[in-house]
Amino acid sequence: MKRITFVTGYFGSGKTEVALNLAIQKRVNILVDLDIVNPYFRSREQEPLLKELGIRTISSGLINSPHADLPFLAKEVYIPFHDQSLSAVYDLGGSGSGARLIRQFKDYLPNAEVDLLFCVNINREVTNTAEKIIEEIQIIETSGGVKPTGLINNSNFLKETTVEDVIAGEEVLQIVAKATKLPIVYTGIVASLDRDDLQVAGEKIILKLYFNKHWL
Amino acid sequence: MAKQLMKGNEAIARAAMLGGLDAFFGYPITPQNEVPEYLSRYMLEEGKVFVQSESEVAAINMVYGAAAAGFRAMTSSSSPGIALKQEGITYLCGSELPCVICSVMRGGPGLGSIQPSQGDYNQATRGGGNGDYHVIVFAPETIQETIDIMKEAFDIADYYRNPVMILVDGLIGQMMESVDLTKPVKKRFLPEKDFATTGTNHHSRRNVVNSLYLESAELEAHNLALKKKYDKVIINDTRYELINMEDPDYVIVAFGTMSRVCRSAIETLAEKKIRVGIIRPISLWPFPNRAFETIDAPHLKGILVVEMNLGQMLTDVIVANNGKYPIGFYGRAGGVVPDPSDVVNAIGHFKDLVVK
Repeated sequence: MKRITFVTGYFGSGKTEVALNLAIQKRVNILVDLDIVNPYFRSREQEPLLKELGIRTISSGLINSPHADLPFLAKEVYIPFHDQSLSAVYDLGGSGSGARLIRQFKDYLPNAEVDLLFCVNINREVTNTAEKIIEEIQIIETSGGVKPTGLINNSNFLKETTVEDVIAGEEVLQIVAKATKLPIVYTGIVASLDRDDLQVAGEKIILKLYFNKHWL
Repeated sequence: MAKQLMKGNEAIARAAMLGGLDAFFGYPITPQNEVPEYLSRYMLEEGKVFVQSESEVAAINMVYGAAAAGFRAMTSSSSPGIALKQEGITYLCGSELPCVICSVMRGGPGLGSIQPSQGDYNQATRGGGNGDYHVIVFAPETIQETIDIMKEAFDIADYYRNPVMILVDGLIGQMMESVDLTKPVKKRFLPEKDFATTGTNHHSRRNVVNSLYLESAELEAHNLALKKKYDKVIINDTRYELINMEDPDYVIVAFGTMSRVCRSAIETLAEKKIRVGIIRPISLWPFPNRAFETIDAPHLKGILVVEMNLGQMLTDVIVANNGKYPIGFYGRAGGVVPDPSDVVNAIGHFKDLVVK
Protein backbone atom coordinates (compact mmCIF):
# COMPACT_ATOMS: atom_id res chain seq x y z
CA MET A 1 0.00 0.00 0.00
CA LYS A 2 1.27 3.45 -0.85
CA ARG A 3 1.75 5.92 1.96
CA ILE A 4 -1.32 7.87 0.90
CA THR A 5 -4.44 6.32 -0.67
CA PHE A 6 -7.37 8.32 -1.98
CA VAL A 7 -10.59 6.32 -2.47
CA THR A 8 -12.99 7.70 -5.07
CA GLY A 9 -15.87 6.29 -7.12
CA TYR A 10 -19.49 6.67 -8.13
CA PHE A 11 -21.68 7.40 -5.13
CA GLY A 12 -22.95 4.28 -3.45
CA SER A 13 -20.03 2.18 -4.67
CA GLY A 14 -18.97 1.50 -1.08
CA LYS A 15 -16.04 3.93 -0.96
CA THR A 16 -16.54 4.79 2.68
CA GLU A 17 -16.71 1.18 3.90
CA VAL A 18 -13.64 0.36 1.81
CA ALA A 19 -11.77 3.43 3.07
CA LEU A 20 -12.61 2.60 6.69
CA ASN A 21 -11.60 -1.03 6.33
CA LEU A 22 -8.36 -0.07 4.59
CA ALA A 23 -7.52 2.49 7.27
CA ILE A 24 -8.24 0.04 10.07
CA GLN A 25 -6.64 -3.05 8.59
CA LYS A 26 -3.54 -1.25 7.39
CA ARG A 27 -3.37 0.70 10.65
CA VAL A 28 -2.70 4.00 8.89
CA ASN A 29 -2.07 7.04 11.05
CA ILE A 30 -4.82 9.24 9.64
CA LEU A 31 -8.19 8.88 7.98
CA VAL A 32 -9.20 12.03 6.14
CA ASP A 33 -12.92 12.34 5.39
CA LEU A 34 -13.30 14.62 2.38
CA ASP A 35 -16.99 13.82 1.86
CA ILE A 36 -18.89 17.08 1.80
CA VAL A 37 -21.51 15.73 -0.62
CA ASN A 38 -23.43 13.21 1.44
CA PRO A 39 -24.48 14.01 5.00
CA TYR A 40 -25.22 10.36 5.92
CA PHE A 41 -22.88 7.39 6.38
CA ARG A 42 -19.68 9.43 6.43
CA SER A 43 -16.46 7.96 7.80
CA ARG A 44 -16.17 10.78 10.35
CA GLU A 45 -19.11 9.16 12.20
CA GLN A 46 -16.67 6.37 13.12
CA GLU A 47 -14.25 8.77 14.82
CA PRO A 48 -14.71 7.23 18.32
CA LEU A 49 -13.84 3.75 17.00
CA LEU A 50 -10.90 5.05 14.96
CA LYS A 51 -9.60 6.95 17.97
CA GLU A 52 -9.67 3.77 20.03
CA LEU A 53 -7.58 2.11 17.34
CA GLY A 54 -5.09 4.97 17.36
CA ILE A 55 -6.20 6.40 14.01
CA ARG A 56 -6.71 10.14 13.82
CA THR A 57 -9.80 11.38 11.96
CA ILE A 58 -9.59 14.66 10.07
CA SER A 59 -12.70 16.17 8.53
CA SER A 60 -14.45 19.48 9.04
CA GLY A 61 -12.46 20.43 12.12
CA LEU A 62 -15.67 20.94 14.09
CA ILE A 63 -15.52 19.05 17.37
CA ASN A 64 -18.29 16.49 17.93
CA SER A 65 -20.20 17.44 14.79
CA PRO A 66 -20.29 14.31 12.65
CA HIS A 67 -23.63 15.33 11.13
CA ALA A 68 -22.95 18.95 10.23
CA ASP A 69 -23.97 19.76 6.66
CA LEU A 70 -21.23 22.33 6.15
CA PRO A 71 -19.09 22.23 3.04
CA PHE A 72 -15.71 22.98 4.51
CA LEU A 73 -12.66 21.05 5.69
CA ALA A 74 -10.00 21.58 8.31
CA LYS A 75 -6.58 22.80 7.15
CA GLU A 76 -5.18 19.65 8.78
CA VAL A 77 -6.20 17.69 5.67
CA TYR A 78 -2.76 18.63 4.26
CA ILE A 79 -0.78 17.11 7.16
CA PRO A 80 0.04 13.77 5.46
CA PHE A 81 1.56 15.66 2.52
CA HIS A 82 3.90 17.57 4.81
CA ASP A 83 4.91 14.86 7.27
CA GLN A 84 6.44 11.97 5.32
CA SER A 85 6.29 9.72 8.37
CA LEU A 86 2.48 9.57 8.34
CA SER A 87 0.32 7.19 6.33
CA ALA A 88 -3.23 8.13 5.42
CA VAL A 89 -6.43 7.08 3.69
CA TYR A 90 -8.52 9.84 2.09
CA ASP A 91 -12.25 9.13 1.73
CA LEU A 92 -13.66 11.29 -1.05
CA GLY A 93 -17.32 12.12 -1.65
CA GLY A 94 -19.14 10.35 -4.46
CA SER A 95 -18.85 10.90 -8.19
CA GLY A 96 -17.48 13.98 -9.93
CA SER A 97 -18.78 16.44 -7.36
CA GLY A 98 -16.98 14.53 -4.60
CA ALA A 99 -13.80 14.06 -6.61
CA ARG A 100 -13.58 17.81 -7.25
CA LEU A 101 -12.04 18.13 -3.79
CA ILE A 102 -8.84 16.48 -5.02
CA ARG A 103 -8.09 19.74 -6.80
CA GLN A 104 -6.99 21.39 -3.57
CA PHE A 105 -4.08 18.93 -3.48
CA LYS A 106 -2.94 19.77 -7.02
CA ASP A 107 0.35 21.22 -5.79
CA TYR A 108 1.24 17.77 -4.41
CA LEU A 109 -0.06 15.57 -7.21
CA PRO A 110 0.73 13.37 -9.03
CA ASN A 111 3.06 11.86 -6.48
CA ALA A 112 4.79 8.47 -6.41
CA GLU A 113 3.66 8.02 -2.82
CA VAL A 114 -0.02 8.57 -3.62
CA ASP A 115 -2.63 6.21 -5.02
CA LEU A 116 -6.01 7.39 -6.31
CA LEU A 117 -8.20 4.30 -6.44
CA PHE A 118 -11.52 4.12 -8.23
CA CYS A 119 -13.96 1.92 -6.32
CA VAL A 120 -16.61 0.05 -8.34
CA ASN A 121 -19.73 -1.92 -7.54
CA ILE A 122 -21.08 -3.26 -10.83
CA ASN A 123 -24.52 -3.64 -9.26
CA ARG A 124 -24.98 0.10 -9.43
CA GLU A 125 -26.92 1.34 -12.45
CA VAL A 126 -24.28 3.88 -13.51
CA THR A 127 -21.35 1.44 -13.34
CA ASN A 128 -22.86 -1.82 -14.54
CA THR A 129 -20.84 -2.11 -17.77
CA ALA A 130 -17.19 -1.59 -18.65
CA GLU A 131 -18.09 1.33 -20.95
CA LYS A 132 -20.03 3.12 -18.22
CA ILE A 133 -17.24 2.55 -15.69
CA ILE A 134 -14.68 4.04 -18.07
CA GLU A 135 -16.97 7.03 -18.57
CA GLU A 136 -17.22 7.52 -14.78
CA ILE A 137 -13.43 7.28 -14.43
CA GLN A 138 -13.16 10.06 -17.01
CA ILE A 139 -15.66 12.17 -15.06
CA ILE A 140 -13.59 11.70 -11.89
CA GLU A 141 -10.43 12.61 -13.79
CA THR A 142 -12.02 15.74 -15.28
CA SER A 143 -13.46 16.86 -11.94
CA GLY A 144 -10.46 16.02 -9.80
CA GLY A 145 -7.79 16.97 -12.30
CA VAL A 146 -5.85 13.78 -11.51
CA LYS A 147 -5.90 10.43 -13.22
CA PRO A 148 -6.84 7.46 -11.04
CA THR A 149 -3.96 5.02 -10.50
CA GLY A 150 -5.93 1.86 -9.84
CA LEU A 151 -9.26 0.10 -9.38
CA ILE A 152 -11.07 -1.51 -6.48
CA ASN A 153 -13.59 -4.25 -7.18
CA ASN A 154 -16.26 -3.79 -4.52
CA SER A 155 -19.12 -5.51 -6.34
CA ASN A 156 -21.71 -6.52 -3.77
CA PHE A 157 -25.35 -6.74 -2.76
CA LEU A 158 -24.53 -5.94 0.89
CA LYS A 159 -25.56 -8.89 3.07
CA GLU A 160 -26.94 -10.80 0.08
CA THR A 161 -23.61 -10.85 -1.79
CA THR A 162 -22.46 -14.16 -3.27
CA VAL A 163 -19.00 -15.16 -4.51
CA GLU A 164 -20.46 -15.09 -8.04
CA ASP A 165 -21.26 -11.39 -7.57
CA VAL A 166 -17.62 -10.69 -6.71
CA ILE A 167 -16.39 -12.70 -9.72
CA ALA A 168 -18.90 -10.99 -12.04
CA GLY A 169 -17.50 -7.65 -10.91
CA GLU A 170 -13.97 -8.81 -11.51
CA GLU A 171 -14.79 -9.92 -15.05
CA VAL A 172 -16.12 -6.47 -15.93
CA LEU A 173 -13.22 -4.74 -14.18
CA GLN A 174 -10.68 -6.84 -16.08
CA ILE A 175 -12.05 -5.30 -19.28
CA VAL A 176 -11.77 -1.83 -17.73
CA ALA A 177 -8.26 -2.60 -16.51
CA LYS A 178 -7.20 -3.62 -19.99
CA ALA A 179 -8.73 -0.55 -21.64
CA THR A 180 -7.48 1.98 -19.09
CA LYS A 181 -4.23 0.24 -18.11
CA LEU A 182 -5.25 0.66 -14.47
CA PRO A 183 -4.55 -2.35 -12.24
CA ILE A 184 -7.15 -3.87 -9.90
CA VAL A 185 -5.43 -3.06 -6.62
CA TYR A 186 -7.98 -4.43 -4.16
CA THR A 187 -11.02 -6.67 -4.12
CA GLY A 188 -13.47 -6.10 -1.29
CA ILE A 189 -15.16 -9.17 0.13
CA VAL A 190 -17.74 -9.26 2.91
CA ALA A 191 -16.24 -11.25 5.79
CA SER A 192 -18.89 -14.00 5.67
CA LEU A 193 -17.99 -14.83 2.04
CA ASP A 194 -14.25 -15.27 2.37
CA ARG A 195 -12.64 -18.64 1.77
CA ASP A 196 -8.92 -19.42 1.77
CA ASP A 197 -9.13 -20.79 -1.77
CA LEU A 198 -10.92 -17.74 -3.13
CA GLN A 199 -8.55 -16.17 -5.64
CA VAL A 200 -9.27 -12.60 -6.64
CA ALA A 201 -7.55 -9.83 -8.54
CA GLY A 202 -5.28 -7.64 -6.44
CA GLU A 203 -5.16 -7.77 -2.68
CA LYS A 204 -8.17 -9.18 -0.84
CA ILE A 205 -9.75 -6.79 1.65
CA ILE A 206 -12.09 -8.55 4.04
CA LEU A 207 -14.84 -6.04 4.69
CA LYS A 208 -16.51 -5.44 7.98
CA LEU A 209 -19.62 -3.33 7.29
CA TYR A 210 -19.40 -0.54 9.84
CA PHE A 211 -22.54 1.27 8.68
CA ASN A 212 -24.85 -1.66 8.04
CA LYS A 213 -26.94 -1.97 11.20
CA HIS A 214 -27.89 -5.52 12.11
CA TRP A 215 -31.60 -4.71 11.94
CA LEU A 216 -31.39 -3.41 8.38
CA MET B 1 -34.07 -5.91 -15.33
CA ALA B 2 -31.99 -7.78 -12.82
CA LYS B 3 -31.50 -7.09 -9.17
CA GLN B 4 -29.44 -3.98 -8.43
CA LEU B 5 -28.22 -1.94 -5.51
CA MET B 6 -30.05 1.36 -5.12
CA LYS B 7 -30.12 4.20 -2.71
CA GLY B 8 -33.62 4.98 -1.41
CA ASN B 9 -33.77 8.39 -3.06
CA GLU B 10 -32.60 7.05 -6.41
CA ALA B 11 -35.18 4.29 -6.13
CA ILE B 12 -37.94 6.85 -5.50
CA ALA B 13 -36.88 8.74 -8.62
CA ARG B 14 -36.60 5.69 -10.87
CA ALA B 15 -39.86 4.20 -9.59
CA ALA B 16 -41.62 7.51 -10.24
CA MET B 17 -40.39 7.35 -13.84
CA LEU B 18 -41.59 3.77 -14.12
CA GLY B 19 -44.93 4.96 -12.72
CA GLY B 20 -45.30 7.35 -15.62
CA LEU B 21 -43.90 10.61 -14.27
CA ASP B 22 -44.19 13.30 -16.95
CA ALA B 23 -42.92 16.34 -15.08
CA PHE B 24 -40.90 16.92 -11.91
CA PHE B 25 -40.60 20.24 -10.09
CA GLY B 26 -38.48 20.61 -6.98
CA TYR B 27 -36.01 22.59 -4.97
CA PRO B 28 -32.96 20.97 -3.29
CA ILE B 29 -32.96 20.05 0.39
CA THR B 30 -31.08 17.41 2.37
CA PRO B 31 -31.72 14.48 2.79
CA GLN B 32 -33.73 14.07 -0.44
CA ASN B 33 -31.32 15.67 -2.92
CA GLU B 34 -30.65 12.46 -4.83
CA VAL B 35 -34.29 12.46 -5.99
CA PRO B 36 -33.99 15.62 -8.12
CA GLU B 37 -30.35 14.85 -8.91
CA TYR B 38 -31.31 11.49 -10.38
CA LEU B 39 -34.32 12.89 -12.25
CA SER B 40 -32.27 15.78 -13.65
CA ARG B 41 -30.01 13.18 -15.20
CA TYR B 42 -32.65 10.87 -16.66
CA MET B 43 -35.89 12.84 -17.25
CA LEU B 44 -34.48 15.03 -20.02
CA GLU B 45 -32.90 11.99 -21.68
CA GLU B 46 -36.40 10.55 -22.02
CA GLY B 47 -37.91 13.78 -23.26
CA LYS B 48 -39.70 14.47 -19.98
CA VAL B 49 -39.85 17.67 -17.95
CA PHE B 50 -37.47 18.43 -15.08
CA VAL B 51 -37.45 21.86 -13.48
CA GLN B 52 -35.41 23.01 -10.52
CA SER B 53 -37.72 25.74 -9.37
CA GLU B 54 -36.79 28.91 -7.55
CA SER B 55 -38.47 27.75 -4.35
CA GLU B 56 -40.58 24.99 -2.83
CA VAL B 57 -43.67 27.18 -3.13
CA ALA B 58 -43.03 27.61 -6.84
CA ALA B 59 -42.48 23.88 -7.27
CA ILE B 60 -45.82 22.82 -5.76
CA ASN B 61 -47.64 25.42 -7.87
CA MET B 62 -45.88 24.16 -10.99
CA VAL B 63 -47.15 20.71 -10.02
CA TYR B 64 -50.62 22.23 -9.84
CA GLY B 65 -50.24 23.61 -13.35
CA ALA B 66 -48.89 20.40 -14.85
CA ALA B 67 -51.53 18.28 -13.10
CA ALA B 68 -54.27 20.64 -14.32
CA ALA B 69 -53.00 20.13 -17.84
CA GLY B 70 -53.43 16.38 -17.38
CA PHE B 71 -49.82 15.37 -16.81
CA ARG B 72 -48.39 13.11 -14.14
CA ALA B 73 -46.53 15.60 -11.97
CA MET B 74 -44.46 15.22 -8.85
CA THR B 75 -42.48 17.21 -6.33
CA SER B 76 -40.12 16.06 -3.64
CA SER B 77 -38.76 17.71 -0.53
CA SER B 78 -37.93 17.31 3.14
CA SER B 79 -39.59 18.58 6.31
CA PRO B 80 -39.20 22.40 6.14
CA GLY B 81 -39.66 22.23 2.37
CA ILE B 82 -42.88 20.25 2.71
CA ALA B 83 -44.02 22.88 5.23
CA LEU B 84 -43.63 25.49 2.50
CA LYS B 85 -45.75 23.42 0.12
CA GLN B 86 -48.81 23.21 2.38
CA GLU B 87 -50.76 25.96 0.66
CA GLY B 88 -50.24 24.33 -2.72
CA ILE B 89 -51.31 20.96 -1.34
CA THR B 90 -54.70 22.20 -0.11
CA TYR B 91 -55.27 23.92 -3.47
CA LEU B 92 -54.46 20.65 -5.25
CA CYS B 93 -56.92 18.81 -3.00
CA GLY B 94 -59.57 21.50 -3.41
CA SER B 95 -59.22 21.43 -7.19
CA GLU B 96 -59.08 17.62 -7.17
CA LEU B 97 -55.79 17.43 -8.98
CA PRO B 98 -53.76 14.22 -8.93
CA CYS B 99 -50.06 14.41 -8.14
CA VAL B 100 -47.37 12.70 -6.10
CA ILE B 101 -45.45 14.38 -3.30
CA CYS B 102 -42.39 12.72 -1.87
CA SER B 103 -41.41 13.70 1.67
CA VAL B 104 -38.10 12.54 3.13
CA MET B 105 -38.29 13.48 6.80
CA ARG B 106 -35.50 15.05 8.82
CA GLY B 107 -35.38 16.38 12.38
CA GLY B 108 -37.50 19.41 13.33
CA PRO B 109 -39.08 21.77 14.27
CA GLY B 110 -37.77 24.71 12.27
CA LEU B 111 -34.54 24.03 10.43
CA GLY B 112 -33.99 21.11 12.83
CA SER B 113 -31.34 18.70 11.64
CA ILE B 114 -30.61 16.66 8.53
CA GLN B 115 -30.74 13.33 10.35
CA PRO B 116 -33.67 10.88 9.99
CA SER B 117 -36.91 11.51 11.85
CA GLN B 118 -40.60 10.70 11.76
CA GLY B 119 -41.51 14.10 13.10
CA ASP B 120 -43.74 14.92 10.14
CA TYR B 121 -46.44 12.34 10.79
CA ASN B 122 -48.86 15.10 11.72
CA GLN B 123 -47.69 17.32 8.87
CA ALA B 124 -48.39 14.51 6.39
CA THR B 125 -51.67 13.19 7.80
CA ARG B 126 -53.18 16.46 9.07
CA GLY B 127 -51.37 18.94 6.91
CA GLY B 128 -50.97 22.64 7.35
CA GLY B 129 -53.33 23.63 4.60
CA ASN B 130 -56.81 25.02 5.11
CA GLY B 131 -60.16 23.32 4.83
CA ASP B 132 -61.50 19.79 4.89
CA TYR B 133 -59.01 17.82 2.87
CA HIS B 134 -56.88 14.69 3.01
CA VAL B 135 -53.67 13.63 1.34
CA ILE B 136 -53.31 9.88 0.83
CA VAL B 137 -50.10 9.02 2.69
CA PHE B 138 -48.04 5.86 2.36
CA ALA B 139 -45.05 5.07 4.60
CA PRO B 140 -42.99 2.16 3.23
CA GLU B 141 -40.36 0.44 5.39
CA THR B 142 -37.93 -0.91 2.78
CA ILE B 143 -36.57 0.45 -0.48
CA GLN B 144 -38.32 -2.36 -2.36
CA GLU B 145 -41.64 -1.41 -0.80
CA THR B 146 -40.93 2.25 -1.59
CA ILE B 147 -40.47 1.31 -5.24
CA ASP B 148 -43.62 -0.81 -5.36
CA ILE B 149 -45.78 1.92 -3.82
CA MET B 150 -44.15 4.69 -5.84
CA LYS B 151 -44.85 2.83 -9.08
CA GLU B 152 -48.52 2.61 -8.11
CA ALA B 153 -48.77 6.12 -6.67
CA PHE B 154 -49.70 7.94 -9.90
CA ASP B 155 -52.48 5.42 -10.59
CA ILE B 156 -53.88 5.96 -7.11
CA ALA B 157 -53.61 9.74 -7.51
CA ASP B 158 -55.34 9.64 -10.91
CA TYR B 159 -57.99 7.22 -9.70
CA TYR B 160 -59.06 9.48 -6.84
CA ARG B 161 -57.95 12.78 -8.40
CA ASN B 162 -56.08 13.53 -5.21
CA PRO B 163 -52.45 14.10 -4.13
CA VAL B 164 -50.62 11.01 -2.88
CA MET B 165 -47.68 11.39 -0.53
CA ILE B 166 -44.81 8.94 -0.13
CA LEU B 167 -43.46 9.54 3.37
CA VAL B 168 -40.07 8.12 4.34
CA ASP B 169 -37.42 9.21 6.81
CA GLY B 170 -33.92 10.28 5.82
CA LEU B 171 -32.52 6.84 6.55
CA ILE B 172 -34.68 5.16 3.89
CA GLY B 173 -33.77 7.97 1.52
CA GLN B 174 -30.05 7.57 2.12
CA MET B 175 -29.54 3.86 2.71
CA MET B 176 -28.89 1.27 0.03
CA GLU B 177 -30.59 -2.04 -0.58
CA SER B 178 -30.76 -4.54 -3.36
CA VAL B 179 -33.99 -4.09 -5.28
CA ASP B 180 -36.03 -5.38 -8.21
CA LEU B 181 -37.65 -2.66 -10.30
CA THR B 182 -39.72 -5.06 -12.37
CA LYS B 183 -42.32 -6.24 -9.87
CA PRO B 184 -45.75 -5.71 -11.48
CA VAL B 185 -48.19 -3.11 -10.18
CA LYS B 186 -51.86 -3.71 -9.45
CA LYS B 187 -53.93 -2.63 -12.46
CA ARG B 188 -56.71 -0.09 -11.94
CA PHE B 189 -59.38 1.28 -14.17
CA LEU B 190 -58.41 4.91 -14.60
CA PRO B 191 -60.97 7.50 -15.61
CA GLU B 192 -60.20 9.72 -18.56
CA LYS B 193 -58.76 13.08 -17.51
CA ASP B 194 -61.70 15.05 -18.84
CA PHE B 195 -61.00 17.82 -16.34
CA ALA B 196 -57.66 18.68 -17.92
CA THR B 197 -57.09 22.07 -19.50
CA THR B 198 -55.72 20.79 -22.78
CA GLY B 199 -57.27 23.41 -25.05
CA THR B 200 -60.82 23.34 -26.37
CA ASN B 201 -59.85 21.73 -29.67
CA HIS B 202 -62.69 23.67 -31.40
CA HIS B 203 -65.30 22.21 -29.05
CA SER B 204 -67.43 24.58 -27.07
CA ARG B 205 -66.66 23.04 -23.67
CA ARG B 206 -64.04 24.86 -21.63
CA ASN B 207 -62.36 23.22 -18.62
CA VAL B 208 -61.75 25.32 -15.54
CA VAL B 209 -59.59 23.96 -12.72
CA ASN B 210 -60.41 25.84 -9.58
CA SER B 211 -60.95 25.53 -5.84
CA LEU B 212 -63.01 28.70 -5.42
CA TYR B 213 -66.73 28.29 -4.63
CA LEU B 214 -68.20 31.57 -3.42
CA GLU B 215 -71.71 30.23 -2.80
CA SER B 216 -71.93 28.39 0.53
CA ALA B 217 -74.30 25.75 -0.74
CA GLU B 218 -72.10 25.09 -3.73
CA LEU B 219 -68.96 24.77 -1.60
CA GLU B 220 -70.73 22.52 0.87
CA ALA B 221 -71.78 20.26 -1.99
CA HIS B 222 -68.13 20.19 -3.09
CA ASN B 223 -67.03 19.40 0.49
CA LEU B 224 -69.51 16.55 0.69
CA ALA B 225 -68.37 15.17 -2.64
CA LEU B 226 -64.78 15.24 -1.39
CA LYS B 227 -65.88 13.53 1.81
CA LYS B 228 -67.54 10.79 -0.21
CA LYS B 229 -64.30 10.32 -2.14
CA TYR B 230 -62.23 10.17 1.05
CA ASP B 231 -64.61 7.55 2.47
CA LYS B 232 -63.96 5.49 -0.65
CA VAL B 233 -60.20 5.79 -0.09
CA ILE B 234 -60.67 4.58 3.49
CA ILE B 235 -62.56 1.51 2.29
CA ASN B 236 -60.35 0.63 -0.67
CA ASP B 237 -56.83 1.80 0.06
CA THR B 238 -56.21 1.46 3.79
CA ARG B 239 -53.07 -0.63 4.04
CA TYR B 240 -51.27 -2.31 6.91
CA GLU B 241 -49.30 -5.39 7.80
CA LEU B 242 -49.86 -7.64 10.81
CA ILE B 243 -46.72 -9.32 12.11
CA ASN B 244 -46.69 -12.12 14.68
CA MET B 245 -50.21 -11.29 15.89
CA GLU B 246 -51.17 -14.70 17.27
CA ASP B 247 -51.93 -14.39 20.97
CA PRO B 248 -49.34 -11.69 21.74
CA ASP B 249 -48.47 -10.40 25.23
CA TYR B 250 -47.90 -6.96 23.73
CA VAL B 251 -48.57 -5.28 20.41
CA ILE B 252 -46.20 -2.67 18.97
CA VAL B 253 -47.45 -0.11 16.47
CA ALA B 254 -44.67 1.28 14.30
CA PHE B 255 -44.15 2.40 10.69
CA GLY B 256 -41.27 2.96 8.28
CA THR B 257 -37.72 2.61 9.63
CA MET B 258 -39.10 2.21 13.15
CA SER B 259 -40.98 -0.97 12.25
CA ARG B 260 -37.74 -2.50 10.99
CA VAL B 261 -36.09 -1.81 14.33
CA CYS B 262 -39.13 -3.33 16.06
CA ARG B 263 -39.02 -6.46 13.87
CA SER B 264 -35.54 -7.09 15.22
CA ALA B 265 -36.62 -6.27 18.79
CA ILE B 266 -39.50 -8.78 18.83
CA GLU B 267 -37.08 -11.57 17.92
CA THR B 268 -35.01 -10.78 21.01
CA LEU B 269 -38.21 -10.58 23.06
CA ALA B 270 -39.33 -13.98 21.75
CA GLU B 271 -36.08 -15.46 23.09
CA LYS B 272 -37.13 -14.07 26.48
CA LYS B 273 -40.52 -15.78 26.06
CA ILE B 274 -42.34 -12.48 25.59
CA ARG B 275 -44.65 -12.69 22.58
CA VAL B 276 -44.92 -9.36 20.81
CA GLY B 277 -46.85 -8.63 17.62
CA ILE B 278 -46.57 -5.61 15.35
CA ILE B 279 -49.27 -3.61 13.61
CA ARG B 280 -47.46 -1.80 10.82
CA PRO B 281 -49.52 0.95 9.20
CA ILE B 282 -48.51 1.28 5.54
CA SER B 283 -51.11 3.93 4.79
CA LEU B 284 -50.88 6.61 7.49
CA TRP B 285 -53.91 8.35 6.05
CA PRO B 286 -56.18 6.48 5.90
CA PHE B 287 -55.02 5.17 9.26
CA PRO B 288 -55.67 1.42 9.60
CA ASN B 289 -58.26 1.58 12.37
CA ARG B 290 -59.61 -1.77 11.25
CA ALA B 291 -56.32 -3.47 12.14
CA PHE B 292 -57.11 -2.77 15.78
CA GLU B 293 -60.55 -4.30 15.48
CA THR B 294 -58.93 -7.60 14.47
CA ILE B 295 -56.83 -7.87 17.64
CA ASP B 296 -57.82 -11.13 19.28
CA ALA B 297 -55.44 -11.50 22.19
CA PRO B 298 -56.71 -12.78 25.54
CA HIS B 299 -53.29 -12.24 27.14
CA LEU B 300 -52.62 -8.77 25.74
CA LYS B 301 -51.13 -6.51 28.41
CA GLY B 302 -51.01 -3.42 26.25
CA ILE B 303 -50.12 -1.63 23.04
CA LEU B 304 -46.77 0.16 22.70
CA VAL B 305 -46.53 2.89 20.09
CA VAL B 306 -42.93 3.40 18.94
CA GLU B 307 -42.02 6.39 16.80
CA MET B 308 -39.06 8.55 15.85
CA ASN B 309 -40.92 11.55 17.26
CA LEU B 310 -42.44 12.36 20.63
CA GLY B 311 -45.89 10.89 20.03
CA GLN B 312 -47.76 11.82 16.85
CA MET B 313 -49.22 8.56 15.50
CA LEU B 314 -49.99 7.90 19.15
CA THR B 315 -53.15 10.02 18.83
CA ASP B 316 -54.46 7.87 15.99
CA VAL B 317 -53.70 4.69 17.93
CA ILE B 318 -55.58 6.01 20.98
CA VAL B 319 -58.60 6.67 18.78
CA ALA B 320 -58.36 3.29 17.02
CA ASN B 321 -57.92 1.42 20.30
CA ASN B 322 -61.02 3.13 21.69
CA GLY B 323 -60.08 2.47 25.32
CA LYS B 324 -59.78 -1.28 24.94
CA TYR B 325 -56.15 -1.84 26.00
CA PRO B 326 -53.59 0.24 27.91
CA ILE B 327 -51.42 2.27 25.53
CA GLY B 328 -47.76 3.08 26.14
CA PHE B 329 -45.40 5.24 24.15
CA TYR B 330 -41.69 5.12 23.41
CA GLY B 331 -40.14 7.63 21.05
CA ARG B 332 -36.83 9.23 20.17
CA ALA B 333 -36.46 12.51 18.36
CA GLY B 334 -33.94 14.89 16.88
CA GLY B 335 -32.51 12.42 14.39
CA VAL B 336 -31.82 9.63 16.89
CA VAL B 337 -32.73 6.18 15.55
CA PRO B 338 -33.55 3.84 18.45
CA ASP B 339 -31.73 0.53 18.64
CA PRO B 340 -33.72 -2.72 18.93
CA SER B 341 -32.42 -3.00 22.51
CA ASP B 342 -34.17 0.30 23.35
CA VAL B 343 -37.46 -1.20 22.17
CA VAL B 344 -36.81 -4.39 24.15
CA ASN B 345 -36.25 -2.24 27.26
CA ALA B 346 -39.38 -0.23 26.54
CA ILE B 347 -41.49 -3.42 26.51
CA GLY B 348 -39.78 -4.43 29.78
CA HIS B 349 -40.84 -1.13 31.34
CA PHE B 350 -44.22 -0.95 29.64
CA LYS B 351 -46.03 0.00 32.87
CA ASP B 352 -43.93 3.15 33.22
CA LEU B 353 -44.65 4.15 29.64
CA VAL B 354 -48.44 3.92 29.75
CA VAL B 355 -50.03 7.18 28.63
CA LYS B 356 -53.69 6.20 28.31
